[in-house]
Amino acid sequence: MRTWQRGRSLGDRLLLAAVVALAVVWLAPIIWVVGLSFKPNEVLMHSTGGILTPPFTLKNYVDILAASSVFGWMLNSTIVAFGQTILTLLIASLAGYGFARTNFPGRNALFVLVLAALAVPEQAIIVPLHTMFAAADLHNTYTALIVPRLAFPFGVLLMTQYFRAIPPEIEEAALLDRASRLKVFFRIVLPLSIPAQATLGIYTFLHAWNDYFWPLVSATKPAMYTLTVGLASMQTNFAQTEGIGFLMAQAVFAGLPVLILYLFFQRHIVSAVAGGPLK
Amino acid sequence: MADLSLRHVSKRFGQLDVIRDLSLEIPSGEFAVFLGPSGCGKSTLLRMIAGLEGLGGGEIHLGGARIDTIAPGDRGVAMVFQHYALYPHMTVRQNMEFGLRNIATPQPEIDRKIADAAEMLEIGELLERKPAQLSGGQRQRVAIGRAIVKQPRAFLFDEPLSNLDAALRSRTRIELARLHHRVQSTMIFVTHDQVEAMTMANRIVVMNQGRIEQVGTPMEIYQRPRTRFVAGFIGAPAMNFLPVAAIREEAGRVVVTLPDGSTVTTAVPTTALRPGAALTLGVRAEHINPGAGTPARVEVIERLGERTLVYANLADGSTIVYDEPGDVVLAVGATVHLAIDGAATHLFDAEGMAVHG
Repeated sequence: MRTWQRGRSLGDRLLLAAVVALAVVWLAPIIWVVGLSFKPNEVLMHSTGGILTPPFTLKNYVDILAASSVFGWMLNSTIVAFGQTILTLLIASLAGYGFARTNFPGRNALFVLVLAALAVPEQAIIVPLHTMFAAADLHNTYTALIVPRLAFPFGVLLMTQYFRAIPPEIEEAALLDRASRLKVFFRIVLPLSIPAQATLGIYTFLHAWNDYFWPLVSATKPAMYTLTVGLASMQTNFAQTEGIGFLMAQAVFAGLPVLILYLFFQRHIVSAVAGGPLK
Repeated sequence: MADLSLRHVSKRFGQLDVIRDLSLEIPSGEFAVFLGPSGCGKSTLLRMIAGLEGLGGGEIHLGGARIDTIAPGDRGVAMVFQHYALYPHMTVRQNMEFGLRNIATPQPEIDRKIADAAEMLEIGELLERKPAQLSGGQRQRVAIGRAIVKQPRAFLFDEPLSNLDAALRSRTRIELARLHHRVQSTMIFVTHDQVEAMTMANRIVVMNQGRIEQVGTPMEIYQRPRTRFVAGFIGAPAMNFLPVAAIREEAGRVVVTLPDGSTVTTAVPTTALRPGAALTLGVRAEHINPGAGTPARVEVIERLGERTLVYANLADGSTIVYDEPGDVVLAVGATVHLAIDGAATHLFDAEGMAVHG
């Protein structure tokens, strides 16, 4: 018994050490970025080492407020991320409810088709997508940035499984309480699926906010850049950059909304990422 | 008040006949219990009345109006589900309100109905709680309350006691009987528990394989089972069934010879018999008297407190169970002598139908 406990505690300690090590590895660049954002650009021309020693400045952040395109990109990212999140939730919930609760010819075949889409890599469809949107003259629009990401098989799968786990008796009770099918969905089923909605919503939002590949292909005008594409576009001109400190301040600025979101929805995000969802 | 009338209803799931051409009349205000083993179709039949399952054929009428063609919510029935099916995200009050709001009941009336039901079921202090904060028994009451406030023409109960512990179950049985007495509505109660059926029902509908085996008051079903299935299903312990080796007549009554050579004079007149039919004798444990008669060897002794059930082997190897007093002194392996009270026995033919006089 004693040996077993000691063994477990040793395992716990190793795990803790590994977690701490990983956290340091992940946090170090973020701390460095934050530190650099408060340093004058002239100092950083010589060295990017001493982030903890003065001089410090807020000039980089003032410059963002004054001159940069970051606000426009942030607005674009916000519109795209919220648009994708809301529409994905709507589509995945309705599709999931359909798969979970209604019986129609070809349902299982259709469900398998949705699942099969999980196996199609993004890179394989990017050229056809580009061609389609070019033909429709939709590039450099919010439509182009949002719509292709709405086909989200994982979301449909998640919602289907969640709805299946809700006892049908509850919906039957509501039917006997003279609720229409639609009312049952919106008043009973949807409120009960909030944990799954939160998981899917946060996942979709983070994914949309951090999305790079498709916005890079579709948004070619700087005014339609999302944050990720915009920030990257500045880094490619590294030689003529306005300064590393300014660049870092932009990165911090871009990360803030996600950080705030994380603080609010920490519990749901952890369960979403851990993949053990719905309790 | 409503008369519930099932007319030639049937239901298939794929190739399986779940309900077979079933007809039944339930008078207004009756407490009817659908009783049968798992898979006999009793819950399906209840769900068909509620409108949660479609009909394969036939009609259902309630209060003189046909209801099988209208939506579940419009039928005037309320259902209490096995797992209560309360809305988890709503408080008890909201659970009870939901159905009333859907038919645009004025708020004062909603409040009054909920107050009445809460008082009747003693759940007044639970109204602002969510179902997750309630015990099983409390959820049960809320589920009943949700049904009561709708003042339905018929209450449908789908094994609502099966999730309660034994003590709570027997208490809830009494409360349901009391409730029925108070609201005087038609109630249909589905269960596989014969004690629930015997204690609560005005009439029991015994079902087997999608058919009605017998409809009758609890004592009719117990004392005059129409089929061998009913005889075996009702009563604890189950009725003893012994194959009949030979029959003869004595003063117009059938006298049967059992495989161990003993004879029993039944109350069945010989005129009720069809010639050449193979028969089975049925006798309940309490109608077997120890003391004199055919010898048997005690195999198992089950002490229940007020009575003792003794399982004994007859000479031909068949097992028979009979009653002894609770404090009887008896050992496994002992030899007892058993006399069957012939007047209280039942005879069943090869098709399992009772042969009555």
